[in-house]
Amino acid sequence: MSFEIGIMTFGELTEDQATGALPSPRRRVRETIEQARVADQAGLDVFGVGEHHRSDFVGSAPAILLAAAAEKTENIKLTSAVTVLGSEDPVRVWEQFATIDLLSAGRAEIIAGRGSYTESFPLFGYDLKDYADLFREKLDLLLKIRDQNPLTWQGRFRAPLVDADIAPRADGGTLPIWVGVGGSPASAVSTGRLGLPMALALLLGPMTYHQETVELYRAAAAEAGHDADALPISINVHGFVARTSQRARDVMYPYFAKGMMDNNHQRGRGFRMPRAAFDAQASPRAGLLVGSPQEIIDKLLGYHELYGLDRALLQMGFGGVPQKDHLEAIELLATEVAPVVRREVALRHRSAA
Amino acid sequence: MTIAEQERTAEPAPRTPALRVVIVNGSPSRPSKTMGLVDVILDTLKDMLPIEASRVDVYHLGAGFTGAIEREDVTPEVAEALRLAENADLLIAAAPVFRGSYPGMFKHFFDLVEQYALANKPVLLAATGGGDHHALVLEHAMRPLFGFFQALTIPVALFASAGDFDGTTLLNPRVHGRIEIGLTDVVDLLRARATGAPWTRAFE
Repeated sequence: MSFEIGIMTFGELTEDQATGALPSPRRRVRETIEQARVADQAGLDVFGVGEHHRSDFVGSAPAILLAAAAEKTENIKLTSAVTVLGSEDPVRVWEQFATIDLLSAGRAEIIAGRGSYTESFPLFGYDLKDYADLFREKLDLLLKIRDQNPLTWQGRFRAPLVDADIAPRADGGTLPIWVGVGGSPASAVSTGRLGLPMALALLLGPMTYHQETVELYRAAAAEAGHDADALPISINVHGFVARTSQRARDVMYPYFAKGMMDNNHQRGRGFRMPRAAFDAQASPRAGLLVGSPQEIIDKLLGYHELYGLDRALLQMGFGGVPQKDHLEAIELLATEVAPVVRREVALRHRSAA
Repeated sequence: MTIAEQERTAEPAPRTPALRVVIVNGSPSRPSKTMGLVDVILDTLKDMLPIEASRVDVYHLGAGFTGAIEREDVTPEVAEALRLAENADLLIAAAPVFRGSYPGMFKHFFDLVEQYALANKPVLLAATGGGDHHALVLEHAMRPLFGFFQALTIPVALFASAGDFDGTTLLNPRVHGRIEIGLTDVVDLLRARATGAPWTRAFE
């Protein structure tokens, strides 16, 4: 596949640093759809919405936001980033994303993940001690729904399906299903065994952070008889693009630090990120995709070389980056970064072939 | 049940004695990652020599165990579990990391073991933890415990992190590889120490 570049958002609500006021959820959902529209018009490949069940996020129902985005866009692929599958009913997930696929003429995708936050499990009546079994079983069901209709299926966590007719079918009959992987060896191995595309979450750390994950993934895929080199790998990563390195860092830092403190917490406390730590994460060998268009190009090509990467989804608005700055970054990513990366990767494929 | 009898190898060569393996399981969970790690250890070992495995679940030995201050306080079932461990050909000491070390219940079991019962006995150390940063529990907590007993701890100790498991199934091939290495190191020694009768159980 040709290299794809996109954006993603969690629709988090972070208080304004000057006024201390929280943006209204209504404004935030409209901004989210506008980001999709601008990304689409500027020529990005993918728009993703994450799933978080808490009042500091508007993104608890990604399918609804993606359906709205489908109406405002023409070409961009629409994906969850991620669907917390362990606490979902795969039948409902399929119905929703197949509907988005029809609305968007075949642009819907699912990234199924275990989820990094755990709020959705008690909310939907699931026990966290079944975390691994829930995901394994529900992924199995989702894949079977994709493959056959009607379907007869039985599992531990939901009523059996007997010759069940699950509709609608997707626009092209099928939907891409990726698996979100945080980097644990076990999820890399199980995803590889299934031969499913892998979406890596990269929060912070060196660019080589996921080298082992990718090796385990491809080795497990090859062992299970899949064409390991043909399996697509994507990263979901924080970043920000501006005209100059300095401006990109200066704009992103205060919001990112605020988001890490206010939104990235599990027990009411986030973590503090000093500017020096942020700058270290922005350095050439570190994972954060922040900088001038050329810096982002270099890092994405570096990732491509390291992991055989096929896709990158950048989260550029985290922590309440003002919509105007966010939209400018989206345009720069689409017009200055994406064409160069697509061309360079295509050239490398050609010279390797 | 306090003592779980596990399978014996399907086809030991008729005259080869089986290695009597006793697992002391320090995990309260059923199933557990700790036993997921031990399952792979036993599978690997089984391919190398005939074994006969039994397990003591320290968290399920009951009040006769938890209320015992001295060896003479324990109930007959607990005494049997202690003797089983003391008479093993190979002891597998397996525990999750709790609060930076092995669980208190696991230590309590060994506090009741005779001081010299484990001297020169092969002991394989295995542990699981939430992350790799717990791995040195093997060297800094478990190995000194068996150093006290003058046991023959196997040089390669085995650790697996939460991220190496899907549920309780160990998936990381690197841990599988380390198990293979650790056991291969001592397989000749283990063969020499095997005392189990080829077709009968040592402890009925």
